[in-house]
Amino acid sequence: MDPTNKFWWFAGVSIFITLLIFAGIVLFFWQQLLPGQQATLIDIVKNHFIYLFIAAILFMAAIGFGLDAIFHSYILPLNRLPEEIELIHTVNSGHRIKREGSKVVNLVIDAINENADHYQQLENDVTTRVIEAKSDVEKEKNILAVIMSELPEGVLICNRDGHILFFNKQAKRFFTGKNDARLGDSPVPDDPPRAPLPFFGLGRSVFEIIDRHLVSHALDDIIEKLEKTTSGAASYFVTVSQGGRHLRTEMVPVLNHQRLFTGFILIFSDITSQLETDSQANLMLQSLSGGIRTPLAGVRAAVETMMEFPDMTLHDVQEFTRIIYHESLKIGKILGQHTRVPLDRPRSQWPLIETRADTMLEKLTVKAKHLLQLQFIAESYDEDLQLSTDSYSFTLAVLFLLQRLSDETAVRDFMCRVHKTNGLINFDLRWRGTAVRMDKVHAWEEKVLSLPDMGLPFTLGEVIRYHDAELWPYTEASHDWSGLRLILPALPPAGVELTRKPTIIPDSRPEFYDFDLFNQPGQNPSIDNRLLTDLTYTVFDTETTGLDPRGGDEIISIGAVRIVNNHLIADDRFEQLINPRRPLRWESIQIHGIEEEMLRDQPIIATVLPQFHQFAENTILVAHNAAFDMRMLQIKEAETGVRFINPVLDTMLLSSIVHPAQENHNLMTISQRLGINVSGRHTAMGDALATANMFLKLIPLLSKKGIHTLQEARTASEKTYFARLRY
Amino acid sequence: MAVDQSDSASRRRGRILIADHEQGTTIPLTYLMEQSGYDVRTADSGEATLRIVATYKPDLILLEAMISNPDGFEICQTIRDNPDWAAIRILFVSAMTRDMDVAKGLASGADGYITKPFSNSEIMDHVRKLLEIADGSDE
Repeated sequence: MDPTNKFWWFAGVSIFITLLIFAGIVLFFWQQLLPGQQATLIDIVKNHFIYLFIAAILFMAAIGFGLDAIFHSYILPLNRLPEEIELIHTVNSGHRIKREGSKVVNLVIDAINENADHYQQLENDVTTRVIEAKSDVEKEKNILAVIMSELPEGVLICNRDGHILFFNKQAKRFFTGKNDARLGDSPVPDDPPRAPLPFFGLGRSVFEIIDRHLVSHALDDIIEKLEKTTSGAASYFVTVSQGGRHLRTEMVPVLNHQRLFTGFILIFSDITSQLETDSQANLMLQSLSGGIRTPLAGVRAAVETMMEFPDMTLHDVQEFTRIIYHESLKIGKILGQHTRVPLDRPRSQWPLIETRADTMLEKLTVKAKHLLQLQFIAESYDEDLQLSTDSYSFTLAVLFLLQRLSDETAVRDFMCRVHKTNGLINFDLRWRGTAVRMDKVHAWEEKVLSLPDMGLPFTLGEVIRYHDAELWPYTEASHDWSGLRLILPALPPAGVELTRKPTIIPDSRPEFYDFDLFNQPGQNPSIDNRLLTDLTYTVFDTETTGLDPRGGDEIISIGAVRIVNNHLIADDRFEQLINPRRPLRWESIQIHGIEEEMLRDQPIIATVLPQFHQFAENTILVAHNAAFDMRMLQIKEAETGVRFINPVLDTMLLSSIVHPAQENHNLMTISQRLGINVSGRHTAMGDALATANMFLKLIPLLSKKGIHTLQEARTASEKTYFARLRY
Repeated sequence: MAVDQSDSASRRRGRILIADHEQGTTIPLTYLMEQSGYDVRTADSGEATLRIVATYKPDLILLEAMISNPDGFEICQTIRDNPDWAAIRILFVSAMTRDMDVAKGLASGADGYITKPFSNSEIMDHVRKLLEIADGSDE
């Protein structure tokens, strides 16, 4: 109960009892008097009523002051003691109880504070010992983390559900184009509005950055390999990040001691520039070879002809001599053009992995049936034949061809033959019906590979080129069968060499990881019974043009951070100014310090809110005085088309559950009470960070009150006094 | 290397189309073929090649795969798709020399594939053989 309410209850009851006793005495006295005495007394009272009245008022006041003094000296300070003592020995051992109330109470408070000094001293000693004990382990962890962060490859570790447990800065750079932003970095005010990039952070799903089908294809591949072999069960593929980087990816499974699959590691190398150089070099090589051969053929044919026909006419001799001269000039010119090109690069960085032809054909049969409803039969193939492919893009390319062929010829049954001849592998798709024209096939080669549910941002031609393959249609001479032949080189794939940088180990921990997340169950709708410490939260704050959402006040800034597995991930942040398309009030500028010109070039709420919605997806929203912020978001539902259906927790309510005796539950007071440093107060990000820290401290205090799960926290919130406040 | 003079003097009948965009190739080849007694035409683009095939009805085409619009492979396929032109022999004489190109050329219906640079005797051997077969099948 609120302390003020308590006081009035106490005062009311005390006065009532006093009046009752007084009235009893008066009644008794009255009955003792003779009738004459009673009349005299009435006269006296009537004539001197004013004195008696003043005396009564003074008496009442004396009682009131007395009660107030007792309440404030004894009851109120003693009432706070249990909460504050709890605060000291749970989250903030530096907290000291303020001296107030009577001498006796102060003596108690002094004793408690003295005790707290001892306790704090002890706690510090223990912490020091723990830190000492941990420092060796920490050192090794740091070395590991630094090595990870300095690798030229991006590294990403996921649990079996695809949630990210670890990443290094290269991985982040590949997928977001940004280097990792340190805590406390101020945003650059004239930063132009960014194109929406995928959110990337601990606890998020890997499917937000890599196509789901690609990941499951690789996982299937790994599981298949694990069943067959004991080592080397990695899968390889190429993915393209939203920023357009081509990433050669190696997926390695993580097994527990019982050899059960518990997660996977993804290792990315950026091959964008190599691919460009390679295809450039390949083109150059081709044009060099092709370019020289033709004039050389001319020279040779001319010379040989002149030797064979010594009696040719003078005119012919001159003609041939001219050809020899011009063709030799051409050769010189071509050589001059190409000597600058580096031709000694590896031919292709595309990770081509050997797969058995029968395995590949089996997969294709299943996928053709499920994805395209087409019959695909492996007609014949060489035993033990290995195909060097990037299995996902190759599968996609064949399925894409089947779909196009089926659309073009209306055929629904296809046969496939795979045979090796003269060091080349003929991969023939055959069907009974008309052939397709070569120009049609050329047109398909320009198309990006996309199928229902599957896709890659490459064209068919690119995939064929990266496989060093050739594709053309043919008609079988003796039958009414037609075909499409894909020729693949039958060589083992080219190896790839990597260069590494020296590693420097700084003192501080450069990256963030939390391997406990391996045991985290996947996010699902039944989160109500999960522990507060196990959930993922988006802690946010908004700054607005004013305090009246219904009266047209607008959001001008959103700041948010994430809490994953009871840790604040300050790096995975959302920070955005918003153009409110209305003038700012002078009073509000005084609070948040955001000027109108800072907002002019910022995106509007309809752009920002969907991004924030995506950032907060599958998490619990936490805010201080959440009712206000949620109202702000809900009012924008119609305009932006996004609905926030996330569960919500309010730190103001949680604080009043934990400390019902405290009168003040504003952000600043709670922060001081819980020993949290607040910087950047009244910026959305500063307040969101303060709220997040506060929330983390409130969780163990709630637990002491028997509130462990989300459901319990919500129920308790509803019951508290502040819940009645409505915006 | 030298071609048998008596053979060239015998003036065998035969029409040859040389399809190549490079004069450096067509001029010596034309001279060589004409001296060997063949009737020769040339084409310097894919389109011209198909036009001349239709009117001139050659017995043999010496085809550069790198000729453009359409390319040599497509020309070869187009000719093979037309039953009226089944007797036409096609010999690629090309600067595209990868195994893949040769396989592609032969798969698209050509009778042979010579890579540049070639020797005169090599090309004459092929031409003679192919035209003998053509004669044989005509009769």
